[in-house]
Amino acid sequence: MPSTLHPLTSLTAAGCTAVITTAAGAWPLSLAVGLAAAVLAVRAGVGRRVLAAAAAVLLPLGLSLLMLHGLFFPEGRTVLAAWGPARVTAEGLAFALESGSRTGACVMVLLLFSFTVSAPDLVAALAGRGLPPQFGFVVASALTLLPVMAGRLDNIRAAQEARGLVLRGGVLSRLVGVRLQMVPLVLGLIEDSGSRAQALEARGFGGPGPRTSYREVADPPVGRRFRAALLLLAAAAVALRLAASWPAAGPS
Amino acid sequence: MSQQSLTLPATGPGSGAGSAKARRNRHVLELAGAAAIAGTYVFLVLTQPADIANGPASFSALVALGGFFLGAVLLIAAALPVLPTSTLVLMPVALVLNVVLGQLMGSTGLPFYFDAIGTVLIAVLAGPAAGAATGALSSIVWSFVNPTVLPFAAGAALIGFLAGLAARGGLFRRFYLAPVAGFVTGILAGVVSAPIAAFVFGGTAGVGTGALVSAFRAMGDTLLAAITKQALVSDPMDKAIVFAIAAMLVYALPRRTTVQFPFVRRYRVLAGKAPETPEA
Repeated sequence: MPSTLHPLTSLTAAGCTAVITTAAGAWPLSLAVGLAAAVLAVRAGVGRRVLAAAAAVLLPLGLSLLMLHGLFFPEGRTVLAAWGPARVTAEGLAFALESGSRTGACVMVLLLFSFTVSAPDLVAALAGRGLPPQFGFVVASALTLLPVMAGRLDNIRAAQEARGLVLRGGVLSRLVGVRLQMVPLVLGLIEDSGSRAQALEARGFGGPGPRTSYREVADPPVGRRFRAALLLLAAAAVALRLAASWPAAGPS
Repeated sequence: MSQQSLTLPATGPGSGAGSAKARRNRHVLELAGAAAIAGTYVFLVLTQPADIANGPASFSALVALGGFFLGAVLLIAAALPVLPTSTLVLMPVALVLNVVLGQLMGSTGLPFYFDAIGTVLIAVLAGPAAGAATGALSSIVWSFVNPTVLPFAAGAALIGFLAGLAARGGLFRRFYLAPVAGFVTGILAGVVSAPIAAFVFGGTAGVGTGALVSAFRAMGDTLLAAITKQALVSDPMDKAIVFAIAAMLVYALPRRTTVQFPFVRRYRVLAGKAPETPEA
């Protein structure tokens, strides 16, 4: 469900929240931000999709962090348990919690943004802010091409299976199968893009000069002030963190 | 060359009266982008916290995110406005190929990531600038479903750029040279991406790679050293395979399609004699 906010406002909100959380580097704040994003996602009606996408990203990362820092953390001093070379240390577990929750908060916030923003609005808003129009074209057409491509791959697989392709067996036969699906897919897409380029060129796509947009996105002044305030806040957080950590981070 | 083309003059900021100035500006942007990435890497390695147990690496995370993001944005801004329409139209295809072919190769059960096939394909057909822009944009688009790939945009841009250089140097004319180029690219890309994994995420995203990092940590390495070593084990192999797959795909394309790309014609990227049709 697209949100009613101006896309730049929600983008700024998500980006600044992620930056401030990273700068703060405190796990209670990270957990709170992640939870707040989850609640907002559920209220926006995209809770299931956001949580599924976040789980797909965060579960492997979390497991990997837990295994890595939970068992092997040579800098750790407080040893809780030890088996041979593996030592469970309090510092390692704290470090895993710290990095995991920080990444988790950023992922949740950014997913909340990407699942609630309307892609055409975002592209129109960005082009209105002086970004090259090509950027909007590439991003928007990639986002619309993604579902088309999946359907096309299904068609190719069905066609190849009708001709006797069997997707089973060892790595080698699977690789042959992948090649039989990949080559027609890539060939077809590159052919298509050639004709699309000619059509676009004929309509003045590559021409210089300013562009106008069909799509006008309302940008109320409240949102603009809110964005400015958030950017200032994020800049302050980054400056504080850099100033606080600079001497400690020097070579030693 | 003496005969003027009858069509309209080529459009875009790269031609016309202000072309020299525009080209210089573009080079400045490209150099600034590369300098931002290289500078960030050097800074991170020199100032890496000696003892990560003292606290979270927020400082290094912010520097890594800011520097690499700035570099990627500068590279996109330098490359994007001057790319011809035929290349621009191919870029969304490459972005989607990165995702779909990555998933397709994942179905074979091999322990690699294969997330750059489309980027390398574009780089071979359209050159280093297009490859770099595709790599960086691909990370941005992919981050709509998986935000953790966003910080790796600079590494992805580097892969595209190096693949384009390899194609320009003729390494895609012979099938056995492509994996060699991929291997070297993987070394550089892995080393550049390691600080992101170490300082921003505190580890790697996969359980398999995590096990490898754990092994190096158990030998007493710092986190950055362990992740760099892990990247040196996984990335060159991965990129060698990706380059080989991209070469296979390019060879499978009909010649009629490949010679449409000015980069392929100009640098004779693929084996065989140059097409006889004049360029104009």
